[in-house]
Amino acid sequence: MSAQRRTSFRSSRPRVAATLAALTAAGLALAGCAGGSGGGADGDKTLKVLIAAPQEGAGKILEADFEKETGAKVEVEVVPYDQIQTKAILDAQSGTNNYDVIQYWYTSVGALAESGAIEDITEWVDGSAEIDAPDFIQSIFGPYTQYEGKTYGLPIDGDMHVLFYNKEILERNGVEVPTTWEEYTAAAEKITAAEKANGIYGSAILGAKSAFNIGSSFFNRLATMIPGTIDPEMPQLNTPEAVEAAQAMLDVAPYALPSPLEIGFEQALPQFLSGNVAMIEFWTDLGTFAQDPEQSKVVDKWGVAPLPIGPKGHVAGALDAGWAMGISPNASDKDLAKEFVAFASSKATNEKLITTTGSGVDPIRTSTLESAKYKEFAPAVAAVAAEVFPNAQSWPTSPEAPEMLQSLNDNLALMLQGSLTAEQAMSQTWDAWQKLKG
Amino acid sequence: MTQSVLTSSPGRRARRTAWAGRTMLTPVLLAIAIVAIYPLGYLVASAFSESSLGRPFTEWVSFANFAELLGDGVTFPSLGRSLLFAIPSTLLALVVGFIVALSLDAAVKSGRIVRVLLLLPLMTPPVMVAVIWKLMLAPTGGLLNNLGQILVPGSEPFLFLGSSPSAMISLIVVDAWQWTPFCILLLYAALQTLPSEVYEAAQVDGAGVWQTFWKITFPLILPTIATVLVLKLVVSFKVFDLVFIMTSGGPGFDTTVSSYSIYRTALQTFDVGAAAAQTIAFLVLVTIIIVPLNAVRQRLHRED
Repeated sequence: MSAQRRTSFRSSRPRVAATLAALTAAGLALAGCAGGSGGGADGDKTLKVLIAAPQEGAGKILEADFEKETGAKVEVEVVPYDQIQTKAILDAQSGTNNYDVIQYWYTSVGALAESGAIEDITEWVDGSAEIDAPDFIQSIFGPYTQYEGKTYGLPIDGDMHVLFYNKEILERNGVEVPTTWEEYTAAAEKITAAEKANGIYGSAILGAKSAFNIGSSFFNRLATMIPGTIDPEMPQLNTPEAVEAAQAMLDVAPYALPSPLEIGFEQALPQFLSGNVAMIEFWTDLGTFAQDPEQSKVVDKWGVAPLPIGPKGHVAGALDAGWAMGISPNASDKDLAKEFVAFASSKATNEKLITTTGSGVDPIRTSTLESAKYKEFAPAVAAVAAEVFPNAQSWPTSPEAPEMLQSLNDNLALMLQGSLTAEQAMSQTWDAWQKLKG
Repeated sequence: MTQSVLTSSPGRRARRTAWAGRTMLTPVLLAIAIVAIYPLGYLVASAFSESSLGRPFTEWVSFANFAELLGDGVTFPSLGRSLLFAIPSTLLALVVGFIVALSLDAAVKSGRIVRVLLLLPLMTPPVMVAVIWKLMLAPTGGLLNNLGQILVPGSEPFLFLGSSPSAMISLIVVDAWQWTPFCILLLYAALQTLPSEVYEAAQVDGAGVWQTFWKITFPLILPTIATVLVLKLVVSFKVFDLVFIMTSGGPGFDTTVSSYSIYRTALQTFDVGAAAAQTIAFLVLVTIIIVPLNAVRQRLHRED
């Protein structure tokens, strides 16, 4: 009896196990199939918005305000700034269609438009008096939204560098606020020689290879050294002024916060706010951080001026970073998505964001740039911004821009490292760019 | 019931068992197919095509991507740097791990606390390891440079991550710091399995500490050392977080190892075809290194 029981049990065990295994396999297969139907409940007005980390503060305000105004639900997803382009393109190309509204770095407008990740909204923008397109600062509107004559987004954040300086450090070293890049280097050299033993440096140069850092340091100089304006299709790296711009970075690097190659804006900002840096090229919202006693030791001790210029240049600035919003071609509710984009770039919203500490947003419209509220909130910064924003100059925006910028960043980094001269850095980059276009 | 016992022949039972086994393997095979075979197929197809992130497989380009990586001046140096990183970091973790494992073995009352403390680096997420060490190695405000300022006031900050060769050395040390506990764990466990009779016999024969180590401990534990070496080498080749967070492949390109170079190509310039070709080149390198070592490892285990 026991032998029979043992045998029958032994013979049924494989059968049970086989059934379980088959069920598991079937279950896995079904789970895989079910996932493809995509997210977002039908009939539910939920807008999914992709936001870059630097504008997380603005994202939260937009979410709350838009929900209040329209009743629509907004889900903001914040991602690191260097992942926006990848996420947007993969979302569209893979058919996942998770996002309705995409905040994008303006230099990728060509690449995103070319790969179908953002929609052509020319007709809507041209036909809407509410959007008031002529009110956008034109030197920003063009680079941020245009590709092959069509409009692909609306600006939401200006982003230019100006020169911030620590008044106390300059005064005690007998240094005037520099108006040329030569004066800037001399000032940095003098201050660093005198004070580096105390951990205080004349300048902080953003030299980290990641997107906005080393590129900003270079384009700041290029924009203020060339006689005309930077050509977004093919910035003029084959000119003597471009070599001078690169050389200017190299000249000041020995006197800058150690070491430029390791310094990104996350490292430079706290050093300036702690009073360890005399001069820094930085985004205008540094002015609001510097007045916040929670994070700044230099409240009322700082000043702001336009960037220095070169012998043939003029007061200007480069659009370092800079954000716009576009609509996904596969957005589930395009009208709602458009409403959100119009809302985010509206005069009222921009004015609110530029007068809110921690929003990460700069002026994008002439009306907000010159608004009384902005001047009251940040008088020193507003005055300088009014001078330089209309002269904003663009980085490359063609579909090859991501590769062009990587090539430029690589060669600039090699230059700062000492492996290339300024001239070699420019000519190697120029050659690489010709190959990309060619 | 007796009937079923008599009619169920051994052959039939064996076949049923075999089919049961195969069915149970199905989920695993499905998983491998999805996770390994499909991506590998996609990778090989991408390597022979012109593919970008937004527009994959636009054109069949035969060996053009491979030809390009032969002359791009980036891929081969990055493969070299992967080797330059993987071998020292593996040896460092292995040697230090072995020493600590031997010490733990010798110390009778090592206690649980010591073991937990020793495991902490391994339990820390790699990204956090990179962030913490980057902060500690920073030229201004970093722990090590602050100590340097205390010891030698007014001295120039040392650029651990901003100069060469200290950037690569720093990465190797941090990686070894994180993975030494892994080596300690495996080697310590192996040391526990060594037969005590052999040691007793050696003691009776009057063998000294060094003799005991070289003639008994080391040969007995060699198979485990070989296993740990191969595993750690694979881990070292896969390094990415440390490079991404601590140096971004710099200064210049001095720490741009293969994995980081592939990331740049795929996700910064979006040239998926070229990145796929680079990945295959990397695969070839890793295979050339690991396969012979694995063969040695298997032979050692067989002899054991």
